[in-house]
Amino acid sequence: MNAHNDDNNARFSNVHRGGIDPAAQTCRDWEDLIVLAAANDELDAAELARLNSHLAGCANCTAALARENNLLRMLAEHAAEPSGALLASCRASLEDALDREEEHGWISRMFGPILPANWLAPRPAWSAAVLLAAGFAVGILAPRAVVQIAARHGYAGRVAGVAATPSPAAPSTANAETAGNDSSASDTAFESSNSAKAPAFSPGPLDLHYADVAGINVSPSGGGSAPPEVVLHFNAQQPSTVRGTVNDDDVKSVLLDVIRHSNRLDPDICMNALDVLHSCNNDPEVRAALCRVVREDANPNVRLKALQALDGSDPEDIVRNTLVDALAGDQNSDVRIQAVDELRDWAASGQVGPDKRMLSVLRSRVQSDPDDYVRAQSAATIREIAAKQ
Amino acid sequence: MTVAVQGDASRAAAAQAAEEQALVRKAQAGDRAAFDDLVRRYDREVLRLASRLVQRPEDARDIYQEGFLRAYRNLHRFRFECSFYTWLYRIVTNTALDHLRRRTSRPEDQPPAPREEDGGKDFFDKQADAGAGANPEKALLGQEIGQQIEQAMKTLSPRERMVFEMKHYHGMRLRAIGDMLGTSEETAKNSLFRATRKLRAHLSGIR
Repeated sequence: MNAHNDDNNARFSNVHRGGIDPAAQTCRDWEDLIVLAAANDELDAAELARLNSHLAGCANCTAALARENNLLRMLAEHAAEPSGALLASCRASLEDALDREEEHGWISRMFGPILPANWLAPRPAWSAAVLLAAGFAVGILAPRAVVQIAARHGYAGRVAGVAATPSPAAPSTANAETAGNDSSASDTAFESSNSAKAPAFSPGPLDLHYADVAGINVSPSGGGSAPPEVVLHFNAQQPSTVRGTVNDDDVKSVLLDVIRHSNRLDPDICMNALDVLHSCNNDPEVRAALCRVVREDANPNVRLKALQALDGSDPEDIVRNTLVDALAGDQNSDVRIQAVDELRDWAASGQVGPDKRMLSVLRSRVQSDPDDYVRAQSAATIREIAAKQ
Repeated sequence: MTVAVQGDASRAAAAQAAEEQALVRKAQAGDRAAFDDLVRRYDREVLRLASRLVQRPEDARDIYQEGFLRAYRNLHRFRFECSFYTWLYRIVTNTALDHLRRRTSRPEDQPPAPREEDGGKDFFDKQADAGAGANPEKALLGQEIGQQIEQAMKTLSPRERMVFEMKHYHGMRLRAIGDMLGTSEETAKNSLFRATRKLRAHLSGIR
């Protein structure tokens, strides 16, 4: 079909330009010129003269031109004109549409030049830059702003029992006095390094988000069984710290938040938090959080640290099951070693009975664990349990 | 005498063009009445083109409305580099082409095909009869011929149909049609040839 068309086009071009000797042309060569002759005003004087000269001697082409004219006349006669009703209906619809457009359009006309869509559309590079800036603002700045705003609002209702301490970067006499006077009232203190007059507040899980914890410093306690002092450093537009012990609800809450999101945070921060939480591993909330880290954290060092934080806790089912699961399934031999060590300690002190699943796992480890120490300790744990029975 | 008539005609055309330019400028400045005036000048032609391109009046109305709305929204971009008529027709033909292409790609939207009940009569016999008078039988015959023409028209591609309509029903030059469709005169010419061949084949076949 295309070849046929190309052939026709070539013929037409030649006839149209007079490139073929008229004597050598067939009627088919004149076909397209006849179409143009029937369509008014498409042939110039020379083409028309050449066609007329051919038509004078060619009955076929004369008949073809007559058929062409008949066809067009017939098409014209049967061409339906749109009715007046349709035109009226179209006009009415257009009026309505233009009215709506006008109502909507004045906003575009007034603000069109400053609407981002209008000036960004033809500038892809600007669009990309604006998108990046918007992403940065939403992803980085907005959460910080929210934390700050929440912190300011939190201050109003929860100052009681919290002492403000002077910032080392911007010491304030007033705040220093306040800190000096109130430091005995509470172990927890909030410090703002940029604003000496910044009010103290009691941080809570809503105020201090885990994602903003930049570091945890632990200072040994003065002695006895007192827990160590913890300093939590927060990243914000206004860097701040929280000081206290793990016995303070706010500090504990932040530390728990940190280990609950251990997979997303710096492992060092998580391990520091786990270290601090070791001292309160009999707190059910802390215990559950530690067990979750043992089961779910991707970092074996963090899992090991969580197991160590569970060391010395009461032999609750949740902990025993966590240890057994770690021994049965953890790919890291250090984690399995820590788990079997703790189980053996419990067995030696008679804190665990002949739990079927635990015994099954221990036997399985004796037979197949790739680590010699785990195999030996598993066998020893079984013996301890048997001896206690 | 002829020269004088031609001079009058060209002066009238120039005055009309100047008046239209003034209307367009007013419309560009937000004068809705001026735009309405422009619509009234050309909307019959626009609707006629739309009605011949699509069978259903609702589709013609869609093309009419969408075409003028696009013109309204883009009026500020009109730079007087061609006549307003050419610019408007360019918008309307593009709108109509979009519509035809959509309908080609979504055949489920097509109206039911008319029944083919030609009875084996010669096409041009029917055509001759149809024009004979207001006889109901002949009117029915004319209706059938109209349906056959519509069927033949459907065999054309959107562009071929557009070129054929603009050439034979709107009397436009092929160069202007090519310009309006954003293509060359040669391409428009080839579309016209293909359209004519197809129509001839379909309508001659029932003779």
